[in-house]
Amino acid sequence: MTEEIVIKVSDVHKTYDETKVPVKALRGVTLDIKKGEFTAIVGPSGSGKTTLLNIIGGLDRPTTGSVVVNGMDISTLSDNQLIDFRKTNIGFVFQSYNLIPVLTARENVEFVMLLQKVDKAKRDARTKEMLQAVGLGDRMHNKPTELSGGQQQRVAVARALAPKPSFILADEPTANLDSSSTANLLDIMAQLNQEEGMTFVFSTHDQRVIDRARRVVTIEDGKVLKDEWR
Amino acid sequence: MVPIIAWRNIWRSRTRSLVVIGSIVIGIWALIFLLGFMQGQVDNYVSGIIESETSHLQMHNAQFEDDFDVKLTIDNASKIVEDLESDPGVHAVTSRILLNGMISSSAAANGIMVKGIDLEREDSVTHILAKIMEGAAPDTSKRNQILVSERIAEKLKVKLRSKVVLTFQNTDADITTAAFRVSGIYKTHSKLHDELYVFANKKDLVRLAGVPPGSAHEIAILLREIDHSDAFAENLNETYPWKAETYKQISPDLELFSSQIKLNLIIMTTIFMLALIFGIINTMLMAVLERVRELGMLMAVGMNRVRVFFMIVLETLYIALVGAPIGIILGYFTTKYLNRVGINLSAWSSALEEFGMKDIVRPSLESGTILTVAIAVLITAVLASIYPAIKAIRLRPVQALRKL
Repeated sequence: MTEEIVIKVSDVHKTYDETKVPVKALRGVTLDIKKGEFTAIVGPSGSGKTTLLNIIGGLDRPTTGSVVVNGMDISTLSDNQLIDFRKTNIGFVFQSYNLIPVLTARENVEFVMLLQKVDKAKRDARTKEMLQAVGLGDRMHNKPTELSGGQQQRVAVARALAPKPSFILADEPTANLDSSSTANLLDIMAQLNQEEGMTFVFSTHDQRVIDRARRVVTIEDGKVLKDEWR
Repeated sequence: MVPIIAWRNIWRSRTRSLVVIGSIVIGIWALIFLLGFMQGQVDNYVSGIIESETSHLQMHNAQFEDDFDVKLTIDNASKIVEDLESDPGVHAVTSRILLNGMISSSAAANGIMVKGIDLEREDSVTHILAKIMEGAAPDTSKRNQILVSERIAEKLKVKLRSKVVLTFQNTDADITTAAFRVSGIYKTHSKLHDELYVFANKKDLVRLAGVPPGSAHEIAILLREIDHSDAFAENLNETYPWKAETYKQISPDLELFSSQIKLNLIIMTTIFMLALIFGIINTMLMAVLERVRELGMLMAVGMNRVRVFFMIVLETLYIALVGAPIGIILGYFTTKYLNRVGINLSAWSSALEEFGMKDIVRPSLESGTILTVAIAVLITAVLASIYPAIKAIRLRPVQALRKL
């Protein structure tokens, strides 16, 4: 593993006051994530792990503190700049797959590359490669509704990885999957982590994911409680 | 990819999209039919006035229309009529003597205008012979025969072969009285026309009024193409020292009627488009609110707001683009069919007669109507898509992704 820092989170605080009663979701989180990590952010519900993931992914902004990704402080970017940033830097895997239901597996995987204006030949080759890598080479033309939950999540992983982002953020990726689908998905992600050197950051409280992570960051009450390497 | 997603999105809720498309189809079909029907009424009114009164063009002595002075004639009317008959643009032409006067019987009297007509030529301009219900046109071989309308016959309580007396001023400003025999009774579609005009032989009136032979008070011209009226009138005014006017100049109420109908059309079209806007907004808003999480995901993975906006606009446009052509085609062919067979409004014929309208309306579409409707629908669709599209781009991905 190289020592290149991909994500640098410095003293991030996040306070929600949507309900007029301020809720401190993060209270000074500091964290470095290096290239090629396979890291799980764990903690009980309400601990702040999803908030941290959203802030790292540029979906939310810290109240104070900074998040630097590949040397760029993303907390200073405008909403439109953040959209562009996410498009080119981050692959997302969501808990409930969130594929585009009207597109086939192939089109879903191709989608972000299309937004990035990758030329057709490269796009086609990469789409095929990723779908084969997640074991869905034969289901390319199926729509999400024609796939099982596990298969849909594998398409989501292929979609996240296809444009070769700086890192993958996966929010509870196995929460809706059965044991064999979970094991299968973790195998695929671990393999892609090894083969492509892709950085993976999960938020999870699924022990099966935690067991496979090489680094486990435990968050509780908005603070990093433990940071273990395995 | 965005156009593909937009197209597929509209078929996600097939029933809902089909209901909206169906309402667009029916709305446009009904709108085009109404536009055609109202244009048909305009045509009906205009053609009725042209046929019974104004023709396409009329020529007069320039001062004649001010006080209908019997002396103010077109001196060389017969020659002008012959010249115009040889013009390839002219369908038919006739000259008339016009006398303001009174018609009386033993029972009653009525103010009228007597038209002294050249029977053969008159019929090719106004088809007056076809409107005779009883009897016949004045016999050219007999003196002082008259054609009266059914309404005047009823007022005067006269029948065929009854005697009536015409009273009018001659060219010496003397009051002339002459007895005429009713040769025929006519009825047109216009109540106003029938209450005003009686027809006699031109040569009888020339003789009785002292108008110089070969002269006339009016020359009425029917062209082959109504659209050439303005240019033809201009040409006549340059060629002859008499005043030539188009049917629109003679009867300004035609323009008023047309413009009122056009205003009605604009109001109807606006109401239709407003209803369409709200129908589409409702549907697209539902489509957006159902897909909040998906829209959040699209923005999370890097689809910018312009693309999201464009996608929603495109979805709306697709719905309109599917519905509008079907509605337009249905409307066009319905109008075309009804133009051929006509819509029979004889149940309202007495009301229509008040306005000088025939009881068969033939819907027709002015050139450009279809294009106007198509453009209006597209503009409506774009306008209707703006609010749902704004709603979509205002979503914050982090919140949208949390929605169930």
